[in-house]
Amino acid sequence: MADIVFDRVVKTYPGGNTAVQELSLQVADGELMVLVGPSGCGKTTALRMIAGLEEISDGTISIGGRVVNNVLPKDRDIAMVFQNYALYPQMTVAQNMGFALKIRNVPKDEIRRRVEEAAKILRLTEYLDRRPKALSGGQRQRVAMGRAIVREPQAFLMDEPLSNLDAQLRVEMRSEISRIQRLLGVATIYVTHDQTEAMTMGDRVAVMRAGVLQQVATPQELYDAPANAFVAGFIGSPPMNILNATLQEEGGVLRAYFGDQSVVVPDSYRASHRLNNLADRSVLLGVRPEDLVVATEGTAGSFGATVTLREALGSEILAHISFGGDDAIVAETGPSAHSKRVVARCGAKASITVHERVHFTLNPDNLHFFDATSGASLRTGA
Amino acid sequence: MSLTSLAPRLSNSGPRPSLLTRRRRRVGMVLVVPALVLVGLLILYPICQAVYYSFTNWDGLTTNWVGPSAWSQAFHNPTMWQALRNNAELLLSVPFALAIPLAAAVMLHQRVAGWRLFRSIYFLPTAISWVVIGLVAEHFFAYNGTMNSLLSDIGFSNIHTNMLGQENQALIALGITFIFSMIGTNTMLFLTGLATLDPSLEEAARIDGAGGWRIFRHITLPHLSRFLQLAFVMTVISAFSALFSLIFVMTNGGPGYATTTMEFLVYQTGFNQSQFGTAALYGIILFVITAVVGIVQLRLIGDRDS
Amino acid sequence: MSTLTVSAPKTKRLGRAAIFAAMVALAIVMLYPFAIMVIISFKTNAQYLIGHGVSTQTWQEINANIPVWQELWNSTVVCTLSIFIILVVGIMAGFSFAKLQFRGGNVVFLAIVSAMMVPLQAILIPEFVNIAKTGLTNNYLGAVVVYAALGTPFSIFLFTTYFRRIPDELVEAGIVDGLGYFGVLWRLALPMALPAIATVTVLQFIQIWDDLLVGLLFLQNNNERTITVGLAALAAGHTTSIPLLMAGSLVSAAPAMLVYLVFQRFLVRGLTMGIDR
Repeated sequence: MADIVFDRVVKTYPGGNTAVQELSLQVADGELMVLVGPSGCGKTTALRMIAGLEEISDGTISIGGRVVNNVLPKDRDIAMVFQNYALYPQMTVAQNMGFALKIRNVPKDEIRRRVEEAAKILRLTEYLDRRPKALSGGQRQRVAMGRAIVREPQAFLMDEPLSNLDAQLRVEMRSEISRIQRLLGVATIYVTHDQTEAMTMGDRVAVMRAGVLQQVATPQELYDAPANAFVAGFIGSPPMNILNATLQEEGGVLRAYFGDQSVVVPDSYRASHRLNNLADRSVLLGVRPEDLVVATEGTAGSFGATVTLREALGSEILAHISFGGDDAIVAETGPSAHSKRVVARCGAKASITVHERVHFTLNPDNLHFFDATSGASLRTGA
Repeated sequence: MSLTSLAPRLSNSGPRPSLLTRRRRRVGMVLVVPALVLVGLLILYPICQAVYYSFTNWDGLTTNWVGPSAWSQAFHNPTMWQALRNNAELLLSVPFALAIPLAAAVMLHQRVAGWRLFRSIYFLPTAISWVVIGLVAEHFFAYNGTMNSLLSDIGFSNIHTNMLGQENQALIALGITFIFSMIGTNTMLFLTGLATLDPSLEEAARIDGAGGWRIFRHITLPHLSRFLQLAFVMTVISAFSALFSLIFVMTNGGPGYATTTMEFLVYQTGFNQSQFGTAALYGIILFVITAVVGIVQLRLIGDRDS
Repeated sequence: MSTLTVSAPKTKRLGRAAIFAAMVALAIVMLYPFAIMVIISFKTNAQYLIGHGVSTQTWQEINANIPVWQELWNSTVVCTLSIFIILVVGIMAGFSFAKLQFRGGNVVFLAIVSAMMVPLQAILIPEFVNIAKTGLTNNYLGAVVVYAALGTPFSIFLFTTYFRRIPDELVEAGIVDGLGYFGVLWRLALPMALPAIATVTVLQFIQIWDDLLVGLLFLQNNNERTITVGLAALAAGHTTSIPLLMAGSLVSAAPAMLVYLVFQRFLVRGLTMGIDR
């Protein structure tokens, strides 16, 4: 079983800075686990600790059941794809890919076989005799992958391999990497700051922030049931709108007040969320852009808002709206805290004009509630 | 922090460093040993010895500790002061040794036709030994030498100099030769400095209406300041140590002590007069001077770089 | 890049012509010594004293008057040995300082680099005494070791700067692939260091080939004299014919110039490495 296990792993730097706090995580054999989070969240540090390139301050890391804390990187049977590819400039593509095997005295024909096979998978066969400087960015990236594949390791470690490619290439390579990973069936840890990559590639995704693991789940789970406001705002583009709201009970009906608007909270939420006993009843209300639906004025539960910005993407229109004139609506911890905007996803034909008033309803089936102080989800059993 | 820049652990903080870190440190130390031995044994140790010797009156046969009076004697020795004076006067040539290369570099930077050829020509004398330059210079300045025949060819046959034979002129001849020798290196230095200057800065300035001289003063010169400082340090240090060869072949320190500088005095006192103790002392003085110049300037440069 | 001008074309052409003229003037000055050496060396002493005449006699007799071949050989041997040591020591230490942090490493680096500031004259006397005591003044080794020690700090400075440019990722890739740190140096860093090696070689070659003081003291034996020292000795003896001196100068200058011309490109790169951001 070549799985990877983090057991309460800690990384502190001599200056006192704690990059990774008590990380416990399991990556199953054959699984593609994505570590995602903003810069400085510790994801790269965690990856490098698996590789052995970073010392482990506390806790253990096991690969295939074996604790590898004191094992040299070359003996951990892992292969790494670096962010800047780190190809050996004086060697050809074939030599780059075969280098690790050559060092281990693997017989020449075996090396050649593996290199040619990997080159075929990666469509590099015609480049085998070129030097890295004669290759494009995308080709270099594939060579870096080839170097890892040829090792036939127990685990692949990838450090933001696509971040240096242009947008279109990135989309192409995303599916390539997924395909190859599935083909080879090797446990893979993939680090990225791009949540789109995380969502499209990961079997499971681990969201990290400031050294602390926020949530580990499948992409859909992360989207539907984020564990806290940070994850909610991080996953999904455009990000979830997180509003400061107050809950008030009026005659058996629970209403959420935000800005100068209010909306009815269906009863079902009382069961699925812990909504009673809230300190001054303030709460963070999360609404995904697609759950703000354009409605005609006067529809039950609708409210009006002014369009401040209109982004037409062709397939849809993103409307930035504001209501109540009260800028404190958008929660300060949300990802939109800087721009203080609320975004709604509208159909391509919707009538959206800047400075005009448009009416919306909230999709009642998809409201998210988070604790106003801790940001933790108020979902029961969350 | 990467595995190559991890700072040393405090001894009471957490677990032992990893196997990789320990190996890295071990290899790091091993690789440095030869350098340390070579430099330590042959440069750093002799400096300490020189300090010791300077307090003695060793003449190659007998050594007697003289103590601080050796130093006060040295400071009362008019020859040494003469040598220091000569060094100081030679420093007057430093501005020329900087200005001419600067002009040359700026001109080369304009990329007029054949500039690459010119660049090779300007730097070519750097490859020649100062001994050779000194020999040619000696011939040039001599009484029946080239300079005089040139002058008479132009028509100034009544000016007939013997620069190397006149006390107050020999140093000037030396200075001119020194400037000549420094042109190559400094030009190359400034040229590289100019090459690192972002051309869009110049272009933006021209669009704003600045003329050539103004651009030079406000854009080119500030950018070159680092290089100017480096060239200054190198030139000054050369003035205190590299002149030996020139002096040896041109004037042998003469006439009298007119061209004896500190670097020559060390040799003369030690090997011509066999006063090793005193010579070591002069050497230390020389070292202090170059060290001070070096440190002061390096600190100014080092403030900007990593 | 050339500076753009938006001023009137005529002024620009005049300006560039003036610059060209100035550069030619300077070129003449810089080439003058060569001219002198060539012209005079192609005279006999008698012709020189009169002031005109051309002859190849001085050149033909040069080996009879100066042991040129022997001295050239000595210079070559000393240069080669010294540079070899300087490179080996410099590459090892440079790589270590650049990529292998260890306790006290910074202090050691500073100590070695500060040795650059020590002028030869300051350590000359003790150096001579030390080496004489070990008997190495009788052969090349004394001078070689001194040259090596003098050239090492700068070489280390240059190699350290150069190796710092190797991305850490590359070293890590080597480690993950299975190399030890020695392996990284030998198989990854070294092949990439060729430009720096060329630079150090050229600069040190010129330095050592053209050196006088060390050779004067540590290679006193006539058999081991370098060409530069031989030339200076010749000059010191006042009975020497000037044409002979000029011929000897050319012989001594030629190899260094050749090396420079061949390796010009690397010099420019090398000199800026300590300065570039």
